[in-house]
Amino acid sequence: MTIMESNRFDLIVVGAGLAGMTAAATAADRGLRVALVSTGFGMFVFGAGCIADQPLAPSDRPDLVDEAIGFFTEFSRQAGCPFEGTMDRPVHLPTILGSFQTVSLAPFYLWNGTKAERAAVVGIEGLSSFDATFVCERLNADAKHRGQTTTYTPFQITLSHEDGVFPSTLQFANRFDRDARFRQELVDALKPVARSADVIMLPGLLGLRSRQRDIAQLEKSLGCGLCELPTLPPSVPGLRLSNALERHLRQMGVEFLSGFPVSELTFNGRHCDGVVVATPGRPRRLSATSVILASGPFSAGLLGGQPSGFDDNLRPLAQDGAALGDNLYAIGALLSAGRGRAGNQRAILTGYRAGKLAAGQEGRYAAR
Amino acid sequence: MRQDDVNLDNCLKCSDCNSVCPMLAANPAYAGPKHLGPELERLRREGLPCDNDWVEYCLGCHRCDLACPNQVNVSELIAAAKARHAKPLVRKVRDFWFARPGLLGRILSIAPTLSNALLGAKVAKFGMKQVMQITSKRTFPAYAKPDLTVPQATGAEAEKVVFFPGCAIRFNQPELARSIAALLQRNGFDTTVSPAGCCGIPALANGDLEEARQRARANIESLGRLVAEGKKIVTSCPSCGHMLKAGMAGLVDDDPMMESKARQIGEQTYDLAELLMTRSDQGKLDTAFRQEPVQLAYHAPCHQTSQGIGRPWYHLLRQIPGVRIEDLDAGCCGMSGTFGFKEEKYETSMAVGQRLFDRIREAGPDIVVTECATCRMQIEHGAKVTVVHPAELLLKAYGGQSETPRR
Repeated sequence: MTIMESNRFDLIVVGAGLAGMTAAATAADRGLRVALVSTGFGMFVFGAGCIADQPLAPSDRPDLVDEAIGFFTEFSRQAGCPFEGTMDRPVHLPTILGSFQTVSLAPFYLWNGTKAERAAVVGIEGLSSFDATFVCERLNADAKHRGQTTTYTPFQITLSHEDGVFPSTLQFANRFDRDARFRQELVDALKPVARSADVIMLPGLLGLRSRQRDIAQLEKSLGCGLCELPTLPPSVPGLRLSNALERHLRQMGVEFLSGFPVSELTFNGRHCDGVVVATPGRPRRLSATSVILASGPFSAGLLGGQPSGFDDNLRPLAQDGAALGDNLYAIGALLSAGRGRAGNQRAILTGYRAGKLAAGQEGRYAAR
Repeated sequence: MRQDDVNLDNCLKCSDCNSVCPMLAANPAYAGPKHLGPELERLRREGLPCDNDWVEYCLGCHRCDLACPNQVNVSELIAAAKARHAKPLVRKVRDFWFARPGLLGRILSIAPTLSNALLGAKVAKFGMKQVMQITSKRTFPAYAKPDLTVPQATGAEAEKVVFFPGCAIRFNQPELARSIAALLQRNGFDTTVSPAGCCGIPALANGDLEEARQRARANIESLGRLVAEGKKIVTSCPSCGHMLKAGMAGLVDDDPMMESKARQIGEQTYDLAELLMTRSDQGKLDTAFRQEPVQLAYHAPCHQTSQGIGRPWYHLLRQIPGVRIEDLDAGCCGMSGTFGFKEEKYETSMAVGQRLFDRIREAGPDIVVTECATCRMQIEHGAKVTVVHPAELLLKAYGGQSETPRR
């Protein structure tokens, strides 16, 4: 058996958002030993991970979108949280604001939102920031305006909760994960609604760790499709996606170091030889053949300030126009700092490309 | 990771902390780390009365600290509030003892046979439940004579290290110290056992800040000298390790000299597996393992995860031929040291652990391995499986006889 060094990796990815996770998956899939260093959940806590077709610059390599999205779709399927849809067919998903969001791909638990003819929008007694009547009023008006035939009807259900406990989607999600009685209660409350609808839309609360089979089971009991509408943070569907992707990456052999910020990138000339992680007691130095920065728009400080630009291989450039590191890549929102919206499509595209670039260099340490 | 002191504006209310809190997941009525930590801290700093029974329910697992994208020291804010929390006399008396496992251990290990008979007696359990609000559903760990003489390595090249045993090893499992010294000896370390007492984490967890500070000062005094001589401190209990690395300096920050010494100790503290992994990295780990055909399941204790050292035991054990090992990755066990012994918290402690128990049942291992003594207690109690410290398995794979009786 190969003995591996505990602080030495083929690739270190900094940041566990959609871009970082895609990069880690791409590289691990190609046999690299990958470490993923992160703090927090990235954008997962704010949304559901839907992918929209957004304008790309030629340097983003739009020609690779299909390949990258294809890889990600397969990755999400293996992680037990499959995405539905294709890039060339945009669809409109309802939101809790009663508007439609144009996306091309979405996790399966949102996708029924595209299939509804007679939708029931279900509010929950006592749950703030979700008003089914308001959502339906706006969706119906918007649908009519768009010439769609779908109708949205508001319902209100009551779910038990302890006295004095303020209902929240996080609380319902935890109970969904842990308590079979709660899942039954949900079925009982939704059954009358299911009779008059083909899709039930409800605030995102179907568990933080639930699998596809759990949600399918619920749909089967109801005889009706379900569609979650992501709520204010923390977004339960987003956290579920994050948990599923992390679980799968761990199975692929990716080492997670979550909770500790990277304080420094270390260089040997124009070669990034690792990162310093601010761990308790003493900082931990990790070395790597390649480093991918996926830590969001506010982490440019790690590069010593806003880079002068990026080359065609996603490498941040120094003042002199040369790459800061021949093996250092920037992806996702960090790459887009000052260049308008990043978007999940770009996160996946650049994550996939950087993962491949890192894998193009020979992996010296076998993944196990 | 926690910052030492934090501007409360760092909390953006994103609720990442709430979404990873094991207590909130098991107990919907719990107020949650965001509210008990940074939100109430604003009011506490204004001097407003907002004492709250829920602060007692924080497990101190540090998962909120690790989840925070903005490095707010959430659990430390709750621990400080816990220290100011007013509780009824009975619980005060009980928690006085729970905060002092060192003192309790010294008394109970004078005549361990008698102590164990007493602690196990039905009538004593009934009494402790009635008078002290200690649950009768659990069994206290057996106490032993604290004999910590360990084998000495020979040879001039052996690196001298100091083993910080912690209360669980000192008073309940002293034979584990011998196993650990044997492991270290095999890998070129000469071990002496530190006479230092409790690390102070139980005091902090029971809201006894003054006792935690005293423990910290005593340990800085005794370990500081050894570190100054260039010795590394080795821990095998993740909570002791977490305390020495991440907690101690903050307890003595009123004294810059002490604080700086505490940081030096933290810098030189190594988890046992972390240290053995450095040997492995240098290609110097003794890998003369015999075949051990066994299916293991590894539970990473919270205070292991919070040290940021990865999963060294998981990687060490998988170097043994024949070992199949699965990382359970199922969160906190819910024991949190003495928390699970408290009558009013027993049910909730078991509810927190349910996810882990279910996961173990699904994995169906021969043996569960985990470094933390109270995690082992909880898993044995909740999942009814054999649970051992990973050091025992490593020693066994070397052909050495682990002296630890299976419990």
